[in-house]
Amino acid sequence: MTTPVPGTVRPRTVADRPGARRRRRVEAAWAYGLLGPSLIGISLFLVLPILVVLWLSLNHWDLLSPMRFIGLANWIDILTDPTFGNSLAVTVVFVLMVIPVQTVLGLVIALLLSRGLRGSWFFRIVYVVPWVCAPLALGVVWKWIYAPFGGALNALLGTSTEWLTTPALALPAVAAVSIWSQVGYVALFFLAGLAAIPSQVLEAAAIDGASPWQIFWSIKLPLLLPTTFFVLVTGVISSFQAFDHIWALTPGGGPDHATDVIASRIYLEAFGGAFHLGRASAMAVVLFVLLVVVTVIQQRWFAKRVTYDLS
Amino acid sequence: MTSRRAGRRRAPDFLAYGILLVGAVLTLAPFVLSVMTALKTPLQLASEPVLAPPDPVTLSNMQRLFTEYGFVSPVVVTAEVVVVVLVGQLAFSVMAAFAFAKLHFPGREALFWLYLATLMVPQVVTVIPLYTMFSAVGLRNTFWSLVLPFVLGSPYAIFLLREYFRGIPDDIIAAARIDGAGTWRILVQIVVPLSRPILATLTIITVVSHWNSFLWPLIITTGRDWQVVTVATAALQTQYNANWTLVMAATTLAIAPLLVIFALFSRRIVGSIALTGFK
Repeated sequence: MTTPVPGTVRPRTVADRPGARRRRRVEAAWAYGLLGPSLIGISLFLVLPILVVLWLSLNHWDLLSPMRFIGLANWIDILTDPTFGNSLAVTVVFVLMVIPVQTVLGLVIALLLSRGLRGSWFFRIVYVVPWVCAPLALGVVWKWIYAPFGGALNALLGTSTEWLTTPALALPAVAAVSIWSQVGYVALFFLAGLAAIPSQVLEAAAIDGASPWQIFWSIKLPLLLPTTFFVLVTGVISSFQAFDHIWALTPGGGPDHATDVIASRIYLEAFGGAFHLGRASAMAVVLFVLLVVVTVIQQRWFAKRVTYDLS
Repeated sequence: MTSRRAGRRRAPDFLAYGILLVGAVLTLAPFVLSVMTALKTPLQLASEPVLAPPDPVTLSNMQRLFTEYGFVSPVVVTAEVVVVVLVGQLAFSVMAAFAFAKLHFPGREALFWLYLATLMVPQVVTVIPLYTMFSAVGLRNTFWSLVLPFVLGSPYAIFLLREYFRGIPDDIIAAARIDGAGTWRILVQIVVPLSRPILATLTIITVVSHWNSFLWPLIITTGRDWQVVTVATAALQTQYNANWTLVMAATTLAIAPLLVIFALFSRRIVGSIALTGFK
């Protein structure tokens, strides 16, 4: 009854006194009072929506006629729908275009910045600028840059390529904007990871005659594994949900659905005119499950690799 | 031998600067180009090369944005949303984080686990159920629909604050209790003042993410009454597709406030990104 909780505020002697139980009750009341607003917020706006979206996925509803329970019909529908299949494929290709490039580029930039060159702080700040800006606004800016007539890119190249309306070019063009806006952010994480490597380890390797290349492959890269894990997981999760800049660049799913990523498909099903809320909900659940699976797989893969304790 | 090694070291430095400089130009060019375009007349954009500096420099695009295209209201609405969400989210997140970090109560671990689990929930998944919920209670297209889902606290902020509060020694709090301070006074007069750095970081994160927010406002508002800056910019672009000087004025307006904040607090922002994940 009076087992002291580790890290408790009260000394044990006080907790053993008769008034302790009342005091504990007062403390619990305070705790729940302080938690009240966030508990309401999280229950109503994060937990309840998960239950609602599951329920909606089992119903036919277009906001106008009454909701109708149809069991798994939406599910069978979307899983055999080539448009949704296309969206899944487009999303996976988009993620495969963005993640490797931004991770490698971010690592290269971090390695260059970690050399202690004068003025490194300036580059560090410059590279993160796109990250703080609204993805929607950046998407609109790039839409102009890509414009076939009067656009900056074609003006510089002296061409009039239809970057965003040619099916084969649209997705790479959209992915390039993603990479452009996130590379500096990724670099910052690698920079923090590099800074955490004890300099003695690197010095010892250099004294033993290791080349910079060997030091990178045998010391830095293995020690950066936890950082890489974090960068990959957060990158994959956010790329799977990417919407704002894709929507700005290619609204409505792009030419021939070439940039119709899952998020844009969900939006179009639900609010693109027909209000297929049930179908869109089923797609949202698929996206959620996919993200959980991807996270677990990445976790497994990295857990198998060695982690080093430098403390 | 030594001279060769020194020479070898200098060459990569040179190369490093070159690569970093190219990267910086590529990063900043879209911003410079879009602001330049916003300051040009439509005639100049059509007749002269894209890289030509604005001549004459004109603010007429920006002016028309406010007078003809009604961009005053979106700026005001967005600013109001940001302020209300910021105040509510910080206050309620501080309260929750303090309870998790420093108070003992039954169900603490289970509840904290629940809060952490909600970090995994993507926004794309919740917008449809939230839309139906807000429609059901008649709050669609209102100011409340823009702020309510966020104003009561964020699991992410609570998580970061709890980590920080746990670093505050229990002795300080115990001493305050012995001096007769109640839980509320301890929170407001001791814990909050000790947590200025993390509160500053969270302030920037919240302002940035809600000024930039697009998907939820796009879905839950219709018409001009509660249109935010991002939604107004997207609508303008769709409607006046070829009028790039005007559209670039809108994107400049959507981006500029954050660039100012970034310029003022760049060191703190850059420093806190790796620390917090900044989302």
